[in-house]
Amino acid sequence: MLALVIAPAIVLGIIQGAVYGLVAVGLVLIYKSTRIFNFAAGEFATIAAFGTYLTKDSVGYYPALLVGILAAVATALLVERLIIWPLSDRPRVTLLVATAATAISLIALQFVFGAGGKIFSARDTVVGGKFAEIFGVNVSYQQLVVLLMLLVVGVGLALFFAFTDTGLATLATSQEPTASRLVGIRLSRVSMLVWGMAGLLGGLAGVLLPPLTGNFTGAFGTIDLLIPAFTAAVLGGMTSIPGAFVGGLSLGVIQNLASFNISSDRLPGATSVAVLIVLVGILLARPSGLLGKEA
Amino acid sequence: MAATLERPDAEVPVGPEPGVDRQRTRPGMAGWAGRAAFPLVLLAVGTWYVLSSTPVHSDVLASGVIIAVGALSLNVLVGYVGQISLGHQAFIGIGAFTAAYVMTKSTDNFFAALVVAAVVGALQAVFLGLIALRVRGLYFALVTLSWGAVAEQCVFRLKGFTGGGAGASAPRPGLFDSDRGYLVLASIVLGMVLLIDWRLMATKAGRAMQAIRESPAVAANYGISVPRYTLFAFGVSGLYAGIAGALYASRRLTVQAGDFTFAGVALTYLIVTVVGGLRRRGGIATFSIFYVLGGFYLPQLAKHINESVAANAGYYVQVISGVLAILTLIFQPEGLGTFTAPIGRWLKGERFQLGHGGGGAEGINVRP
Repeated sequence: MLALVIAPAIVLGIIQGAVYGLVAVGLVLIYKSTRIFNFAAGEFATIAAFGTYLTKDSVGYYPALLVGILAAVATALLVERLIIWPLSDRPRVTLLVATAATAISLIALQFVFGAGGKIFSARDTVVGGKFAEIFGVNVSYQQLVVLLMLLVVGVGLALFFAFTDTGLATLATSQEPTASRLVGIRLSRVSMLVWGMAGLLGGLAGVLLPPLTGNFTGAFGTIDLLIPAFTAAVLGGMTSIPGAFVGGLSLGVIQNLASFNISSDRLPGATSVAVLIVLVGILLARPSGLLGKEA
Repeated sequence: MAATLERPDAEVPVGPEPGVDRQRTRPGMAGWAGRAAFPLVLLAVGTWYVLSSTPVHSDVLASGVIIAVGALSLNVLVGYVGQISLGHQAFIGIGAFTAAYVMTKSTDNFFAALVVAAVVGALQAVFLGLIALRVRGLYFALVTLSWGAVAEQCVFRLKGFTGGGAGASAPRPGLFDSDRGYLVLASIVLGMVLLIDWRLMATKAGRAMQAIRESPAVAANYGISVPRYTLFAFGVSGLYAGIAGALYASRRLTVQAGDFTFAGVALTYLIVTVVGGLRRRGGIATFSIFYVLGGFYLPQLAKHINESVAANAGYYVQVISGVLAILTLIFQPEGLGTFTAPIGRWLKGERFQLGHGGGGAEGINVRP
């Protein structure tokens, strides 16, 4: 009986967690190689969503997807060049505040171009229709696409770090920046690379999530994605890319279980409470996370 | 061996503080008169501005004064003790809802509500501080971020505490009921908070907090109880935030959960603190006023450009404030304190001298 109640929450949670996972991997990439907590990550997603839905009427949906993702990558690279690189030798908290200030500016810019707090409807999907009914939950093809995308990104990153020189250089930089520079790795290039990748991942999340919820507003990336993605990254150990996947999926499930049987009259915002409990719990009990090697 | 135990000669010349050329020439009569006139002139300009403009202008100024109190609360954490808070909407909001709760449920005395809000604000901050003892630096920033989200989505929407979505009402005290009167009340409270903050930093507790910021390990070696003073700092920060919250509540007359958002409160206060200058209470208070005046006058200027700019002027102000914070971090880590700190020293009888502020001006300094 209990399994019947829990199973749908788990299915929904995994799908939601996949989106968290995408953003969380972007956070981990940046933290791993530069030790920066990127609070502007949510806005990469929002910008991608805006890029897609503002251009889809004129260029069509699939090209618009590309426009959105490219807009996110371009934003990430601009942020890296204009803000992160000039500040790169400052205390890490200065950089945290700088990314947070970036987020507030980007949010406000979206409101300027997105006509205030207007709600955009997002009905277009990459692949339409229902895939299957699993434990009473209708799983659409779009949701399948999100899960597959997470898998593709995961395998792709694993191959990138294992088999390419650039991937190896990125790992080396994360372990010993000074020594890496001495053997001829250009830190500036590595920094741009990981920020670009984080923009790509945030952009993917930003174009894939709105069709699942049916609509979006400005700043949804920071409001709906940033905190869960950070918690997922911490859950996975903050430096582990597989950890970020596992963390994202587990957090999605935990959130759905938390909100499943609690009416919002008795306890509003149960999901946010669950996120806080998981975050504090993991930081107190196992600061290195589920799969992290270093704290 | 005995020689090493002797007290050092009391007449050992103490060199000047590094980086600061403190010329202890006492100002003459004219100098003191000029220094005394400065605050009076400021007060006169302020009074003239308030009396010659509409009550709306006073309300705007009052909101700036309240932001100043809230930003000073953030300054205790980020500036003094070196803990970053990204959940200040929880700090301010809990103060506001507590004040409203007290005034609707038990007494309609504003000042009683203010005290209760300050105490409750301090308690919730100390509770959060307990986590900060174990979780430091960037990770603690995440905890505060998450705590802010819980406050936004859960605590502020509990029907028993905040009246759910409808919000709670918070009347003003009778004597200060008008917008101008309320500005006077808020300014008096800000003055008291500034005074407390100033004197507190000159005590052992103030020095202990700053030592913990520089290095908890070194501070502990000098006999400073790191947990105790960290919690103390959280208490002080929560106290200021509770006061700011109570002022916020009565300024708006009603409080709603939607007033306290991450972007609207936590980030805004952080930006005001950074641009005003960490550990520069004068800079923070000054920039708070500039911030609200900018938010008020820039949209009016924008009307002369074109309609669409004017309609979105509030958002443009937000964009500008974010950019300003980034520029401050890159080029001028002392923020507006670069200009206000020399004025402060001049008022205390030193020569006017731009440049080194003394007292650690290295910007944000939190050990990860």
